[in-house]
Amino acid sequence: MRLVLFDPLNDSRIRFYPLAYSRPIWELRCGMTSLGDKLIAKVKAASVAGFVPDYMADACRERIVFPINDAAALRGDDLLVVNARVRADALTSDVQGPSCVMLDAAGECLVARIAKADLERLQTGSLDELLASAKATLPKAGETPATWNYTWDLVLANPDQLKADFAAADRHGIEGTIEEPSAIRGNRKDVFVARGVRIHPLVVLDAEHGPIYIDEDAEVHPFSRIEGPCYIGKKSLLLGAKCREGNSIGPVCRVGGEVEESIIQGYSNKYHDGFLGHAYVGEWVNLGALTTNSDLKNDYSSVAVSLDGKESIDTGSTKVGSLIGDHTKTSIGTLLNTGAYVGSMALIAATGKPLPKFIPSFAWFLEGVVTKGFGKRKLYETAQTAMGRRKIKWTAAQEQMWDAVFQMTAEARHEAVRKGRRALRALQG
Amino acid sequence: MASVEERVIAVTARVLQLDPKEVKAEHRFTKDLGAESVQSIELVAMFEEEFGIEMDEDAALAVQTIGSAAEFITRACKEQGVEA
Repeated sequence: MRLVLFDPLNDSRIRFYPLAYSRPIWELRCGMTSLGDKLIAKVKAASVAGFVPDYMADACRERIVFPINDAAALRGDDLLVVNARVRADALTSDVQGPSCVMLDAAGECLVARIAKADLERLQTGSLDELLASAKATLPKAGETPATWNYTWDLVLANPDQLKADFAAADRHGIEGTIEEPSAIRGNRKDVFVARGVRIHPLVVLDAEHGPIYIDEDAEVHPFSRIEGPCYIGKKSLLLGAKCREGNSIGPVCRVGGEVEESIIQGYSNKYHDGFLGHAYVGEWVNLGALTTNSDLKNDYSSVAVSLDGKESIDTGSTKVGSLIGDHTKTSIGTLLNTGAYVGSMALIAATGKPLPKFIPSFAWFLEGVVTKGFGKRKLYETAQTAMGRRKIKWTAAQEQMWDAVFQMTAEARHEAVRKGRRALRALQG
Repeated sequence: MASVEERVIAVTARVLQLDPKEVKAEHRFTKDLGAESVQSIELVAMFEEEFGIEMDEDAALAVQTIGSAAEFITRACKEQGVEA
């Protein structure tokens, strides 16, 4: 059987911006691994293929090991076609069985289980054709698998998912080095320190309330305190961090200050002091010293987030921090409001006041307003420099993808720029 | 009605807090008038606001003098159908 992950460009996808501008939803993290890793582990398929929005297909092909947007993957085997928003733990009884489709309330296909024999009577020229013909001809299953619906769903589920992933990984013990004096609180079976990890003296691993998994070649500097449940990714570095419970830190990150119940996708820096809580931070982000986000309103009411600068969505949670897209940089002393949306490729120069709750992608936030700044080209040059420092190349395919994101985000940015111009003009009298 | 160049001088003087009488067409924004990088961005924004046009940031930031800014803006107004 072949697992086909798909991530259609539709209104559901917008709910995962800015993180999903530059990656399929199945690459988002929750717990120790990505959503896709969990689906693949659950299905145990012989092969995997993926379908992503066309604008990011070439960039995805550069790093994803299975075929992307290849219609040949829709033929020649039994298929389990799974929308990237489907929760792996919701697939319990759906993997095996006769051909059928599972739709959500809006009629969007979440799962299509198609036997090889049934493929002959379906259209397989493209994924859209396959799903349309499957919806038209195959029986509809009564059950609807649970889905991830917003980025903050992942953040809020992260502590429990970390515990589940640690149990599934079934790894315990110390394969790396822990220099004395350091302390492990709680049950030592709830700690795994992978090979190549270096934990300096005066570090506390507190697994009393949840497991701690520190992945290969990570390094933890003195005076760091890591509370479980927690996952520290490969080659990441903690610099005297107060790493509170519920964090997933991807590979090659530099993290200091206080971090709580947050997800950092990877390759990002929060080197210095400052609080990050209930946040989801993309790749290649740099949070300047003392950058701090609020994750709780003073009146304890539920947090609203705007994904487009217009409409606010009530998260239903009293704890939601920031959503920060890839390649965004904040200056020293940046203050992010509760439920702030900071787009991708944005550059923030703080003014000492909390930022607006919505900063569009490719915005230059200067003098307290959104401007065009030095434009897209300068942001690309900075991205290239940042990636080069980690020996990762900025490619033509990535630039093409970001050009498409620039276009997709133009309307919100232009509106914010116009508003900024008016504010600047008013300031000048 | 003020000319494009006079309006460019007025905006520049306001943003950079200069006396408009001291700003000449041949003056360079950075070297002669002391515009810092953030002020250059502010100037582009204020020219757009003053003339009701959109300017490509890369092209606009490459403009060096008051006189060439006036020419650039005149051209942009014509292209975008805006009366200067």
